Amino acid sequence: MIDNRGAAVEPLPRRERSARFDGPPASAHRESLAGPDTDHAVRTQLAGLRHALPGVRGCVVAGVDGLLISHDLTGDPEPHDLAALAATTFGLGRQAGLALRHGPFRESTVHSHRGYFAVYAVSETVLLAVLGDDGLNVARLHLEARPLANRLADLLHVRTA
Amino acid sequence: MEAAPVANLEVVLKEAMSIEGAIGVALVDFTSGMTLATAGGSAELDLTVAAAGNTDVIRAKLRTIEMLKLPDGIEDILITLDTQYHLIRPLHSRAGDGLFLYLALNKGRANLALARHRLRLVEESLEL
Repeated sequence: MIDNRGAAVEPLPRRERSARFDGPPASAHRESLAGPDTDHAVRTQLAGLRHALPGVRGCVVAGVDGLLISHDLTGDPEPHDLAALAATTFGLGRQAGLALRHGPFRESTVHSHRGYFAVYAVSETVLLAVLGDDGLNVARLHLEARPLANRLADLLHVRTA
Repeated sequence: MEAAPVANLEVVLKEAMSIEGAIGVALVDFTSGMTLATAGGSAELDLTVAAAGNTDVIRAKLRTIEMLKLPDGIEDILITLDTQYHLIRPLHSRAGDGLFLYLALNKGRANLALARHRLRLVEESLEL
């Protein structure tokens, strides 16, 4: 991979699915654990957001450990990479919340020059990440993503954050 | 001494609320849909929701003008509901670029022509 300054960039490290996280997210339904019906319902919800909001390129649902649960992305970027980025963003947000005594992580929005990356807590162990263009109506995204996160928590049978 | 910009914002929005029939007013950034300041509003009219939604209205109209290749800008947009008027007024100053004023009025109590005129004065008095 070559970045825009012409320097070589290492591809993002990718954890193998076999290297499972043994920690708490037993309640988080992994791709393999979520039944096909649940996965279909989750993908329908994600596609609903993409259709309702111009500028949304796609979403991923991921565990806080960075493993992918579901997504509705087509092509670039790789959904596993976005799942890892969601967990990284969550980690930073959680540390800020802990250090400032603001309580558990709720959401974090990264606004870069060419786009948005927003991460919402679905539960203590599950995240929703949304990738958007720079022209995205981010106020509307916040209004629509919060109820979406609640619906995903119901579908995945995880406790709402 | 000049008043701090935020104080000016609050004073100006309060003044907009003194327009006869005003229900709520908001200053909104239509590049993001985020609300910079609000005054008024009610349980039935959530101004942040209205701001985010009307951002799409103003964007659609700007896109339409661009597609029609009209060398023109929006002075204001009027939406007439059964019981309310909604006025959308983009800011024309350089500092206000990308912002709009949103005013919801009670249709029974408001004088539309006067409200439009007063909103123009409010826009002119806005210092950012």
